[in-house]
Amino acid sequence: MIPVKYNVRSLFVRKANTLMTIVSIAFVVLVYVGVLALGAGLRVAFTASGDNSTVIVLRDGANSEMESYFPTETHRILASMPGVARDADGEPLASGETMTLQILERLDGSETNAVLRGVEDGAFDLRPYIRIAEGRRFVPGQTEIIIGDQLEGEVGDLELGSAIDLGRFTFTVVGIFDSGGSSYGSEIWGNAQEFGDSFRRQNYYSSTRLMAESPAQVEALIEEIESSQQINVTAQDEPAYFEAQSNISSGVFLRLGNLIAIMMGFGACFAAANTMYAQVAARSKEIATLRVLGFRRRTILSVFVLEAAVLGLAAGALGALLALPLNGLSAGTTNFMTFSEVRFMLRTTPDVLGAGVLVATLTAVVGGFFPALSASRAPITTLLREG
Amino acid sequence: MFKLIRRNLLRNKRRTILTVLSIAIALILLSFLDLLLAAMSGVNSANANRLVVRHAISLTFSMPAAYEQRLAALEHVEGITIMNWFQGRYIDDRPENFFPRFGTDPDTFPDVFPELALSPGEIDAWRAERTAFIAGRALAEEKGWEIGDVITVEGDIYPVDIELTLRGVFTHPTDEAAERVLYFDWQYVEEALGNPGQINSFYVLLDSPDNMNETIAQAEAMFENSPDQVRAETEAAFFLSFLEMMGNIQFLFSAIGLAVIASIFFITVNTMAMASRERTTEVAVLRTLGFTRSRVLAIVLFESLAVGVLGAAIGLAVMPVVTGAISSVLATQGITFSELRLDDRTPTLVMGIGVFLGLAAGLVPALQAMNMKIVDGLRRVA
Repeated sequence: MIPVKYNVRSLFVRKANTLMTIVSIAFVVLVYVGVLALGAGLRVAFTASGDNSTVIVLRDGANSEMESYFPTETHRILASMPGVARDADGEPLASGETMTLQILERLDGSETNAVLRGVEDGAFDLRPYIRIAEGRRFVPGQTEIIIGDQLEGEVGDLELGSAIDLGRFTFTVVGIFDSGGSSYGSEIWGNAQEFGDSFRRQNYYSSTRLMAESPAQVEALIEEIESSQQINVTAQDEPAYFEAQSNISSGVFLRLGNLIAIMMGFGACFAAANTMYAQVAARSKEIATLRVLGFRRRTILSVFVLEAAVLGLAAGALGALLALPLNGLSAGTTNFMTFSEVRFMLRTTPDVLGAGVLVATLTAVVGGFFPALSASRAPITTLLREG
Repeated sequence: MFKLIRRNLLRNKRRTILTVLSIAIALILLSFLDLLLAAMSGVNSANANRLVVRHAISLTFSMPAAYEQRLAALEHVEGITIMNWFQGRYIDDRPENFFPRFGTDPDTFPDVFPELALSPGEIDAWRAERTAFIAGRALAEEKGWEIGDVITVEGDIYPVDIELTLRGVFTHPTDEAAERVLYFDWQYVEEALGNPGQINSFYVLLDSPDNMNETIAQAEAMFENSPDQVRAETEAAFFLSFLEMMGNIQFLFSAIGLAVIASIFFITVNTMAMASRERTTEVAVLRTLGFTRSRVLAIVLFESLAVGVLGAAIGLAVMPVVTGAISSVLATQGITFSELRLDDRTPTLVMGIGVFLGLAAGLVPALQAMNMKIVDGLRRVA
């Protein structure tokens, strides 16, 4: 067998040529990884929002909190169900919440649909990872709001201390909360009743969240809720609820990424083929010598395929490296289930980077296969003459 | 001279073909992204003579039905109809079964949407029956619906299941996406809900696009002091606001586009470098024969330009097939945009990038060839 060192050295002989091919494939990887990182970031945000012992209850037939509404009375019935966990004071761990969309202007003048979530104290008990990063919590009755960490600096007037008109009332931003990377980071939180008054939608909730005693009790609680004759609602565990939102929104990025990777992959594949044809042409004497020395056609084929693979790996590594700074970049897109904007951070996870390197390697190997084949098939005499 | 260029390009046919093809593919991708962006904004099907009135807070808020009469009384209003997003679930949640389902008023709808072609018989049949619906041709063909077929849509936003009978199939002259929509009589849902009288949006047809701004101002001022304030905007602006909500997708697409250009740039430079390296001796011979420096420069540049332009031409020729294929794949996934049509902008864009690539990639090898000393060139063995 011919050592891999031979391949690496051969690639180095025509440095400029090899380098340019590597760079062109690396850009393909950069794009692919970038788009996948969007999808991954979105998925992380939604996954972080789902708690596996929390049940979310919506009006029967509704797919998301946006479409759901029911009287506050329904919430009281739900909260008093025996399957609901209780805190140290014996109060049920339940949170009735309202969701309202409000058009807000971004800094660049374009518009976005921001989610206003009306909550009571229970909302914080059910999401212990949410904590105030700056300022303080809102005080009910004072028309105060707090904003998610992803909104700060993105939407025009939202910063600590600023005032903003939401519905009939003017609210003051008194705090910024750390959403723990969840999709709540794109939301504005305030007192449910105040939002209800301001938007003239009193005495209703969009959703109720209930904490089960343990993740194992979740099924039983859902059963209990759905079999209740008093109320007409649908219940599911939070991870399933957010999974559906995540699939719809991040699926778009996955498809877009694949489409671009396939098309650009073809182009890059031709570049790799050009480089490998040049390698083969420049080394016909060498190939002949190897053959004369007794190396078989199959070995020649594998040498050049391997060389292409080395080229691809290098390109993949470079592309992944170029894509690394994308990690943590802030981006926003529509949550297609609620039609509101969700802001999140790009994540270049190992999966995503690996997929990029794989695409680069595949591209180069496919591009290098035919040159390698022609190298292995050429008669020795021809090769010797050509050089 | 052109014979020389042609000969040079054909010297290594395989390399030229591969480079031209990779340029073509990259340009197809680029213009596809460009078209997608245009299509997503829905500008293709927007009528310059129509405006949309909705609640000022957001689309999830609705306005009293009585607003219709007040808006209709405005000076330049020729027609007005209601539009309520019913959504609902048709058969199941799979994306291919998702298409817009609007409740409207069959009495006024045909006047406000004159571009949607329906026969008078179909319009009458739609108006005569509360449970009738009309669908675009593209949608009806995809679902295999025939006139008289009955479908059920399960309500999600509204707690009502509706059973509808197809009474008309309409067409749109240019925009296939506008044909993937279902319209039914909102009165059906209204009655089932106990007549709440709430409307998502009003579509208003004006006498002339010139009166658009005036009417927008009048409509917004009319409800300034009402509990439900409104926002009025052109249909195009309304569609664009959906694109804006998708966040920095425009930026994303431009970033992708730049990376694609960078990638093909390196591919082309590489090819031109390879080609010129092989010919060092030849260039020297040309110079000896009396070709001037600028001649040599022109020859190499033109060659590179030819590769770029050829790639762009092939890309343009194949593009309708590729974009057609991609959009029909997307359509089965429930992602329908306005038809991805090649507009006047596309050839300019593609050719422009092709020319730029060709010239930019050929510049360094061309300058090298021009500035080379004849003796050096002759000494070097290719």
